[in-house]
Amino acid sequence: MTEGDGYNLRLYVAGQTPKSIAAIANLTKICEQHLPGRYTIEIIDLMKDPALAVRHQIVAIPTLIRQLPEPLKRIIGDLSNVEKVLIGLDIRPT
Amino acid sequence: MPESDIDPNPPLFDDAEETVQAIHRGDVDAVVVMRSLEGPQVILLHGAEEPYRVLVEQMSDGALTAGPNGVVLYVNDRLCELTGCSRARLVGRDLASLFDGEPPKLVPGVTVEATLLRDHDDAMPVAVWSRPLSIGDAVATLVRLTDLSLHRRAEQIAAAERFARSVLEQATDAVVVLSPDGHITHASWRAEQLAERPPVGCTFSEAFPLEAQSTEEISTLMRFSTESLDTILATKPFHGVEVRLRSERNANSTFLLSAGPLVDDHGANVGSIVTLTDMTERKRAEEQQTTMVAELNHRVKNILAIVQSVAAQTVRSSGSLENFADAFTGRLKAMATAHDILTHTRWLGVGLSELLAAVLAPYRSPDGTRISILGPVVLLPAQAVMPLSMVIHELTTNAAKYGALSTRRGNIEITWQASGSGTNRSVELVWQERGGPKVEVDPTTGFGTRLINHVIGHDLDGNTKAYFDPAGVCWTIRFRIAGPADGRAAISGSPIA
Repeated sequence: MTEGDGYNLRLYVAGQTPKSIAAIANLTKICEQHLPGRYTIEIIDLMKDPALAVRHQIVAIPTLIRQLPEPLKRIIGDLSNVEKVLIGLDIRPT
Repeated sequence: MPESDIDPNPPLFDDAEETVQAIHRGDVDAVVVMRSLEGPQVILLHGAEEPYRVLVEQMSDGALTAGPNGVVLYVNDRLCELTGCSRARLVGRDLASLFDGEPPKLVPGVTVEATLLRDHDDAMPVAVWSRPLSIGDAVATLVRLTDLSLHRRAEQIAAAERFARSVLEQATDAVVVLSPDGHITHASWRAEQLAERPPVGCTFSEAFPLEAQSTEEISTLMRFSTESLDTILATKPFHGVEVRLRSERNANSTFLLSAGPLVDDHGANVGSIVTLTDMTERKRAEEQQTTMVAELNHRVKNILAIVQSVAAQTVRSSGSLENFADAFTGRLKAMATAHDILTHTRWLGVGLSELLAAVLAPYRSPDGTRISILGPVVLLPAQAVMPLSMVIHELTTNAAKYGALSTRRGNIEITWQASGSGTNRSVELVWQERGGPKVEVDPTTGFGTRLINHVIGHDLDGNTKAYFDPAGVCWTIRFRIAGPADGRAAISGSPIA
């Protein structure tokens, strides 16, 4: 993966809430299907360190942030709607 | 908070609207609220889950949640500790990749064993328990991993303890384990038999009061007070001191006292192992061997002296070389017979009846009428066998040449009585010949008679009396059968007058 075509994703969760768990599962699945080898996922548990919410001004959990490629995009929810995620993050299938 | 950590692009209005709508739709289950003093704080919209979350985070077992495709969705802190991996490295991985070799087959509610991979190619035995879990609409699996290393270590320690106990039980020596303060913590079966009281919990000197064997060892033991002996045994190597136990039950036993350090896995001294090896039999064998070597030297010298003396006297009393050869050979044969008997009985002595039968065997008739041997059981000590054998040989030779055994109808009756006890025990033996040629008193005393008198008088502390009845000669021979004080053979090599 090169910096140019890679997806750098950051998922903010709150411990094991159902939506958080579902968001992790859904995101992993979507990336494996549509971005194999082209993504990195960073999972931030705000239950452990709420201060990390400040950087991306997270209000609702779970929230997915696409850091790269720019521009920054965000999707709120458990990412169960695959189509919405693909469109929202402007993911181009390989 | 550093300004650089704040996203330079604040959420747009449509982001705020999207957030509100997401909350309204129920797409989120937690929100972050800003508080001026405490900073950001996460508020769970389903607050009842919080106690469970804390419980899972604090539990001593590792825990994870895996999605239906086996992807790890959540791990608690303990699992991070067990694997040595950060949460970020664990979440998103395939559950099977956490294990070494074949991943465990998860059956709801059943505990199976597996090997958990740790960072740096390390591994750890774990018990794996699982059950299905519904999180909202998603189906997941809750997995609990319990560290079995301590359990395995405890099992190994228990096995080592059983092994050590088994060794102690099987040991033929008395073995005890001392703590550094000198108290017995373990004792073998033999040690429990020897101890004056149940040994575990006592100091060594309480359980095994010692006496030294020799002056040198007394000084070795006396260098220590009872307390310091216990301390020395518990902390220093201690070897090769022969001791006796101060107890009536073991009064005649000798032990070798040794002690060696007991160290733990890190080489630290945690006490000592003390052994008491029973040397009684070994000492007895050594003493017996020393005695036997001394006796052998003594006997060889005696026998050579006797042979020399008998040869010289036989030469003097023999008219011809042929006579000498016969007489000397016969006497040597009597000595050899006695020696054979002693060897056969390991120099422990022989019955008088057996000695007579062995020496007189060539002359006895099949029906036993020519020579009768009759008397109570008398055990001759080893030192009496050789001289008495020679005496019997001389009497027999005389009877064969001149007495009852020189005719076909002659016979000899040998009887005896024993009297006294201890060092005064003696035997009176009567040698009665009948049916031989008419006996005439011989004014000269032959070498055979002189030998009989000398041996009985000098070697067996007795006396002889010969009665020359015309019908047959009768010898009455009295001799002691108690051994000398030093237990050595009493055959002398002094010349026969």
